[in-house]
Amino acid sequence: MWLLNFLPDWLFYATALIGVIGLVASKFISFIPFLNTYRLPVSIGSLLLLLISIWFIGGAANEEKWQARVKELEAKIAVAEQKSADENVKIQTKVINKIDVVKVRGQDIIQYVDREVTVYDTQCVIPKPFIEAHNRAAEAVK
Amino acid sequence: MRLPAVLFVAIMLMMFVLVGCSTPTPVARKFPEVPARILEKCPNLQKLNDDAKLSDVAKTVTANYSTYYECAVKNDAWIEWYQIQKHIFEEVK
Repeated sequence: MWLLNFLPDWLFYATALIGVIGLVASKFISFIPFLNTYRLPVSIGSLLLLLISIWFIGGAANEEKWQARVKELEAKIAVAEQKSADENVKIQTKVINKIDVVKVRGQDIIQYVDREVTVYDTQCVIPKPFIEAHNRAAEAVK
Repeated sequence: MRLPAVLFVAIMLMMFVLVGCSTPTPVARKFPEVPARILEKCPNLQKLNDDAKLSDVAKTVTANYSTYYECAVKNDAWIEWYQIQKHIFEEVK
């Protein structure tokens, strides 16, 4: 209800009270001769005012309930976002550490190859079909 | 003289009816960020030169196995990231 943003809640309670007073007063107006003619308009007007006020009071209460729900949800989301960010840091750290392990292991093996395998380079001839098969397997899928 | 009064009543009635229109108050959620390291694409495997020696073969194979395991680490991290973020998302009700 956009109108609730511009009007204060106490206004609807005030108009409801005026409606009730008007309804009660309309019962006693009939005893005052020169006001008797206004009894029906006052009665109907007060009833309408009371009904409209009750409607707006209900709307304001509902709006308050929903705003509270929105605030509750926003608080939960803020907690979830912080949790998300914390988990991201954990995953990032884990990935960096594991990749470092893989890299170090690769370097160790390369050093081993340089030390132990290069001595056999002259003894072992790598045939062209072997290289071809290897490179075809290593080709990226397009 | 009657027209302004009728117009006033009509405007008041319209305002009264439109008051019932809901004012949406959306609760915005941001899609979680992904760690930068697992957004990196897996590189291509290395190939052998035509005149490759035995040691070159061993080094190339080692490099390619390392590339595979680095890629596997990132893939596992993606799976873990998805499962954790899904769980966090579903916890908010």
